[in-house]
Amino acid sequence: MFQVIKKIIQYPRVTQDYPAKPFDTSLTSGKPVIHSEKCTACGECVTRCPSGAIVENVDTNTLEINDNACIFCVLCSEVCPHGAIEITGEFELAQMTYEELGTQLKKKIEKRFGRSLQIREVDSGSCNGCDYEINALNNPFNDIERFGIHFVASPRHADMLLVTGTATRNMELALLKTYEAAPNPKLVAAVGACACSGGIFQDSYAAKNGIDTVLPVDVYIPGCPPRPQAILYGILKAIDRL
Amino acid sequence: MRFMMNKQESNSMNNKQNELFARFPELSMSEIHGNTLYLESNASSYHTICKDLNGQLAFPLVSMFASDDRERTGSFTIHTVFANRQSGILISVALPVDPSTSAFPSLCELIPAAALYEREIHDLFGLRPMGHPNPKRLVFHGNWPKNQYPLRKEFPVNQRPDFADEKIEFTRIDGEGVYEIPVGPVHAGIIEPGHFRFSLAGEPILNLEAQLYFVHKGIEKLIEGKTIEQGFYFSERISGDETFTNSLAYCQAIEKIAGLQVPVRASFTRVLFAELERITSHLGDLAGICQDVAYGFASYQFKMLRGWCYRIADELCGMRFLRSVNTPGGIRKDFIQGKEETLTKLLAELKKELTETEAIVMHNSLFVDRIENTGILKHKIAVDLNATGPGGRASGVDFDVRKAFPYEAYASLTFEVPVQSDGDVSSRMKVKLAECFQSISLMQQVLEQIPQGIVREEIGILEPYRSAYSLTESPRGENIHYIMTGENNTILRYKVRTPSFCSWPALCHAVSGNIVPDFPLINKSFNLSYAGNDL
Ligand code: SF4
Ligand code: SF4
Repeated sequence: MFQVIKKIIQYPRVTQDYPAKPFDTSLTSGKPVIHSEKCTACGECVTRCPSGAIVENVDTNTLEINDNACIFCVLCSEVCPHGAIEITGEFELAQMTYEELGTQLKKKIEKRFGRSLQIREVDSGSCNGCDYEINALNNPFNDIERFGIHFVASPRHADMLLVTGTATRNMELALLKTYEAAPNPKLVAAVGACACSGGIFQDSYAAKNGIDTVLPVDVYIPGCPPRPQAILYGILKAIDRL
Repeated sequence: MRFMMNKQESNSMNNKQNELFARFPELSMSEIHGNTLYLESNASSYHTICKDLNGQLAFPLVSMFASDDRERTGSFTIHTVFANRQSGILISVALPVDPSTSAFPSLCELIPAAALYEREIHDLFGLRPMGHPNPKRLVFHGNWPKNQYPLRKEFPVNQRPDFADEKIEFTRIDGEGVYEIPVGPVHAGIIEPGHFRFSLAGEPILNLEAQLYFVHKGIEKLIEGKTIEQGFYFSERISGDETFTNSLAYCQAIEKIAGLQVPVRASFTRVLFAELERITSHLGDLAGICQDVAYGFASYQFKMLRGWCYRIADELCGMRFLRSVNTPGGIRKDFIQGKEETLTKLLAELKKELTETEAIVMHNSLFVDRIENTGILKHKIAVDLNATGPGGRASGVDFDVRKAFPYEAYASLTFEVPVQSDGDVSSRMKVKLAECFQSISLMQQVLEQIPQGIVREEIGILEPYRSAYSLTESPRGENIHYIMTGENNTILRYKVRTPSFCSWPALCHAVSGNIVPDFPLINKSFNLSYAGNDL
């Protein structure tokens, strides 16, 4: 017992203060950015990208990276003959689908989920990378419960579904049933490239291209996998608590 | 580091070869490549060869899969792979299957472990294992229509047939008072999906059948026709927490086909990453075991240590899952240069904290009581089902790919393979704990011994229709990949057999006789990958 107490005193608090304090990204590898002044739109990265994430914007004749499909593999930055693609540390990439709907809805959400949020996680065909990162939200470094956010065992208790994976054929029905079992109002977050767009597993006989082909999605959290802070950012953004 | 055989190996290889030749004079020995012996067989010799390899010579069946070679040879091929672990040699037996009959003789009667592989082959290729005692679906659930075989070359990768309503029966245990509990696919915790069907009489579990493949994404099909460069990223996404070991197996197979030896500095670096992945995974399992018996303090400690491992990963490459580190031909860049001091310090801290934690946790008799004699996997079953990795070693299966088929810099480093004999949760916990210390020691040795030099070679263009097997020891055990190249530097066939594929049936055996509330604990002590099994 003495040893245990000693340990508890030794590590009183390891929880990071994100998002109150910014997360140090000096070591991390995040979003690739195309510097338009160097890019000649030669298309080398477009053919090499394993995830089909680089697309041509025909109006402006420039190349753009689709965050939802990108698997953050850094290949494009290596193969660009002009050194136009830079890997940044940026990881706060979550996007809402209803931002444009304005403040009224935001207020509603705030009112409903402002203080506490119950989350049910569903793996609908991931590689388990995203699930480990969601799990990490419960570890002493991230400790998501400090925000009043809990993971629950049943969809019946859930305000939000946190869905990973591409919506495989074999999970489609279970995913829908879980969604239907959660009471209204509810939020759906797509976590990771797979859930956002199918990611690297796009266009397979065994899966759909992302979960929004099955469910309405409220927030997209890109990454492969997104780091725990990126998921936390997405959740807090969805309930307007940033 | 051992792509050419040394003299002793090639001698023992020759002996085996001669032995087999003597027995089957009609055998045409097609090729020896690296550490693999390729044998051709036909419908009449297939059974006898497999029987001799498995029965007489006691080489375990380690993989079995089909390939659609109709365009080139006019037939399908079944590849049945055995391992001679004493001399580090794989023996791959090829059996052509006539497309007009689409049938091949089942091996189940000789080798029960063949059952799953043959069901998988039937689902994906539509080849029927004749004489299979239970040829029901494996990969596909009731929603998949009959007579659609996605790994046949004419099946378009993006074709999604209409949902069907086929019936799949679970094994029924009859008897007085026997009842069933269905669980899943969506579980209470944050884990991957799978359906478990328990049959019980009173409290103890009589039988457990696991229905998996809920996360089947069609990886083997998706990768066909992709370039070698693109295929690599799929290998990294087979199973998230085994990213590095899978990408390593992919790279090694490509490097074998290219006849290329990676720079020594890269092969040392690869060991460092592989061991970092192992310890990260084990610490997570240890935390899970403690959590499942409500030992909060210990769980917290192991989670914290796992966090420290992620810190090391960030320090090394900025990717917590060690992605985009490997590349066919070596590693992407010199990840270690200039960080030696920081890494040495972090490893020393990790070792100290783990030592102190182990002392506290393993001396807690309440905790030890709870995990002893729970979920026993018997040695014989582990051997028969080819359960490897910590799960196998906890049941006395003294085998580790890093020793039997040494790769990268392992041959020049010192490490032990911890083995236990009781096969219970406690044994698996002890093996994993001991392996954590071995991993730290291996990483320290890498930092001390790594030579300077380049870290990457160009692979160049690969010849089409060349194949290779590669083996790595993943955190969960023996991991075997097979690659055949196609035209224009692409992949023609990619077969992955992860340790989880073999260990799932072993887990089902280990729970019988236990009570349902202990299932999560037993499951956690194996911590098998669903994604790695379902592909
Ligand atoms: S990082 Fe990889 S996936 Fe993302 S755009 Fe670049 S090449 Fe494509
Ligand atoms: S997004 Fe990436 S990490 Fe997440 S499940 Fe898909 S492949 Fe795995």
